[in-house]
Amino acid sequence: MKGLIVATHANMAGELLKACESIIGPLPRSRAISVRREDNIDEIRKLFSDALEAVGADGAEVLILTDILGGTPANIGMSFMEPGRIDLLTGVNLPMLLKFFNSKESLSLNELAEMLKAYGQQAIHLASDLLKRQV
Amino acid sequence: MNIVLARIDNRLIHGQILESWVPNLRANCIIVANDEVAQAVMQKILMKAAVPTGIQVVVDTVEAASQLLCTDELGDARVLLLFANASDARKSIEMGLALKKLNLGNMHAGSGKQQCSCTIFLDPADVEDIQKIQDSGVQVTSQCVPSERKVNWTSMFVKMVKN
Repeated sequence: MKGLIVATHANMAGELLKACESIIGPLPRSRAISVRREDNIDEIRKLFSDALEAVGADGAEVLILTDILGGTPANIGMSFMEPGRIDLLTGVNLPMLLKFFNSKESLSLNELAEMLKAYGQQAIHLASDLLKRQV
Repeated sequence: MNIVLARIDNRLIHGQILESWVPNLRANCIIVANDEVAQAVMQKILMKAAVPTGIQVVVDTVEAASQLLCTDELGDARVLLLFANASDARKSIEMGLALKKLNLGNMHAGSGKQQCSCTIFLDPADVEDIQKIQDSGVQVTSQCVPSERKVNWTSMFVKMVKN
């Protein structure tokens, strides 16, 4: 059973999980972390360690999805990285989240992370391009 | 070399720096003056990896970074200089770093700290360091991101004393 943490600036993480839940239903072993401007680093670290304890109970593998590389959620999330057990992927989007819940049990953490990295990029489309493809 | 921004920010390189200050000031060099990060190999690698290519990143101790900034080694770089706290900034200025302005960005809460803005929390030692910095002729203002109004230190200080 893999765990998932979505960590972003402001409330995007929680809202992304809500959006995901509204499409596929309950999301076991998932947590959102909102990083606000006024939060100090120790508080944010505590949010991560609590979330990791919850979704990564019994040594379960955990993927952390964050918004931007170099942002505070990613910077602090990276300090919890344990290659093979806890990894972090930036650029979170809803297609990636949906895909996580639909494929998490069939792949190892490394395979899942690699697949989601590619999938998140491939899931971005421009409507006029789609139209061109049909013509 | 031109220091386009010298800032106290305990998050060091993060979203506000990369997405707001760097493009706004067209900085092409980020210097992190911090003793702890300078020794943390892993953190240093990740910090550098987060910065877009084309922007030089130097992470070094307060002393080494201050010395570097006193030379002409950086050529005509547009430097964004980051300190994690007021005491490091004061130390750097006392070591000879010539600053005209200092920006207070993020100085977050801790025990015994008093809040003076959304992201600035200070204890008496911070206040003393900032006062010393201002007394040495550096113009100290607080501003989280470029789109926000600058607030000068004197008015922050007066407000703090009143509370």
